Amino acid sequence: MEEYRQEIIISAVVVYMVFCVLTGLWAMRRTHNASDFFIAGRGLGPIVVSLAIFSSTLSGFGFVGGPGLVYSIGVSSFWMVIISSIGYALCFFLVSKRIRMIAELRDCISLPDIVAARYGSESVRFMIAVTIVLGVMGYLATQILAMAVVMQAIFSGTETFANVGLVTCVIISSAVLIFYCVTGGIIASVYTDVVQGTIMIVAGSLILLTAINVFDGGMQEATSIILADDAETIMPYGAAGIMASLGWFFVFGLGLAGQPHIITKLMMNKEINDNRSMLPLSLFGYVMAALLWISIGIVMRAAVLDGRVEPLALPDDAASVFLSVFTNPFLAGIVFAGLFAAIMSTSDAFLNIGTAAIIHDIPKAIQGKSLENELLWARVVTVLLAILAACFALYSHFQDATLVAILGAFGWGTFAASIFPVVAIGLNWKGASVAGAVTAIGAALLINFISQLAGYTFPYGVSGQLVAFVSSMTLFLGVSLVTKKPVLDTDIDRVMDI
Amino acid sequence: MTVTLIAICLAETVPDAGGKPHPEFPGLQIGGDGAARLQHIGILGFAFQSLLLIQIVLLSILGVAERYRSNSLIIYMSACLAMMLLIGWKMFSGHLQFLDTNETDYFLGFPTATAWQTYGTWLGAIPLVLIYSLGFRKFIYTEEDERQFNTLLAEKAQQQE
Repeated sequence: MEEYRQEIIISAVVVYMVFCVLTGLWAMRRTHNASDFFIAGRGLGPIVVSLAIFSSTLSGFGFVGGPGLVYSIGVSSFWMVIISSIGYALCFFLVSKRIRMIAELRDCISLPDIVAARYGSESVRFMIAVTIVLGVMGYLATQILAMAVVMQAIFSGTETFANVGLVTCVIISSAVLIFYCVTGGIIASVYTDVVQGTIMIVAGSLILLTAINVFDGGMQEATSIILADDAETIMPYGAAGIMASLGWFFVFGLGLAGQPHIITKLMMNKEINDNRSMLPLSLFGYVMAALLWISIGIVMRAAVLDGRVEPLALPDDAASVFLSVFTNPFLAGIVFAGLFAAIMSTSDAFLNIGTAAIIHDIPKAIQGKSLENELLWARVVTVLLAILAACFALYSHFQDATLVAILGAFGWGTFAASIFPVVAIGLNWKGASVAGAVTAIGAALLINFISQLAGYTFPYGVSGQLVAFVSSMTLFLGVSLVTKKPVLDTDIDRVMDI
Repeated sequence: MTVTLIAICLAETVPDAGGKPHPEFPGLQIGGDGAARLQHIGILGFAFQSLLLIQIVLLSILGVAERYRSNSLIIYMSACLAMMLLIGWKMFSGHLQFLDTNETDYFLGFPTATAWQTYGTWLGAIPLVLIYSLGFRKFIYTEEDERQFNTLLAEKAQQQE
């Protein structure tokens, strides 16, 4: 069976991609208007939404970069994962009920729609929409590049496809992504998310079992090897230290409620009462899938220190080397399909919110109305956005990685710093003002941009993202308190009392 | 929290507080001298962590409508916070103890302090999840809320007609 390893892996990935295409065709028949395209007409059940929420949370980073980070800096990066239980709980306490109510009351189809309704301000809508577009470009480019790199790595292990280039891999993977996103919109995205989420749960569980059995003494032997080499790496704050760890605790814990691709999903459930089951279901899925992140990283570091595996060329190789050395081909096939699932589920969510920002929110903020025939434009812009991101990814790979790195900084941390105060706090505090919101978003963008561009580092591993987040929250509260108390629209005022 | 963060940034620095390259294996980072790294900011770091946990619970309470912030909710939330702070302290003090003695026990594969961090932090928020899910109809979205929202929707529909 071992001699057919690559063929088995390719088959698993091909089956998964064919499923995505078929789902796109099926969902196309259920997509009749912009509301269906962007928020599935608010008609989804709790299990579908829960799986979509957690699979969108765990991107390709969780399957490639996550294990690589654990391999490189040890327990420090656990903080990004273990905070998920607090992050999800906070997200549901602060956002889920009111975002769903405002969406239904005002017929909102995007996060900037919600923000505009809450603050009665097109400026806030515009700033959130621009933040989303900037973030989406960075995220999408890195996700598409990750997909292509993994695909090329799989092909390179075969005789037939060994010479397939990166550009071809970008075209194949983007084509599948574009097809199901364009044809089926968010309906295709969430139903592929269901399968993607299921694959990720299965992959995470099986990898944990495999990882525990790599060393005779189980996980304890692996952590003992790491402890003997450098104790700090396996202690609670890891190699990166206490403030880097707590920075992730802050940015990933609170910040989850500020991720547009995640909280937009909270507008899609059919019943508000579904929220009570969606929280534990999303959390369960995430925890099971994230087991892969932690277990591969620990075992690979111990295996390298112990001499069982050659040192990796790059930390990001941790997952692929683990799969080729320690797993049987079928499990490797499932995990590679899971990897594509993780990347695609995040990419489709970003394509969706990016398209909504471009065709719906930015025109509405500038000219007071969105484009005519939104469904047609949504499909056109989805294609263009994905092609642009793919070109961007290739340019960064072959020419200059700086631009993607800068836009990559407009990822989780910037969304967290600019959106969390405005949405998560703003939906629960009537005193939040337009001036406070604009200041918070502006400060978050500025600090993240400057710290990234200047490459400025703070002492003790304090990150620019943490500084931006703390600053934007402080400014949001401070400016709102000193400015005139806002007068809310009557319906929004009543929603905020419920 | 802002003040704590500023104090940490202004504290006397130590070399390689954010880690340094492994002397033998490229791509790996090590932490080095843990006691030195915590010498000037250890307590401030723990204070930052505790304030963050307090903030999380306060924000969760903010997510509950004012009229449902009953004594029972405050008791549940306080118990939840106490548990999270205890876990944070067990992790921090366990780490300090290891730095003193260079010895540790293991729990489910990890050194004790790390086990508190990994399993404790993950599971420590489960009470928050339970308060939300089991208390949904009592604290988050009651039958009265549902009626009020349906009335609001009906009024809106009437206005649009």
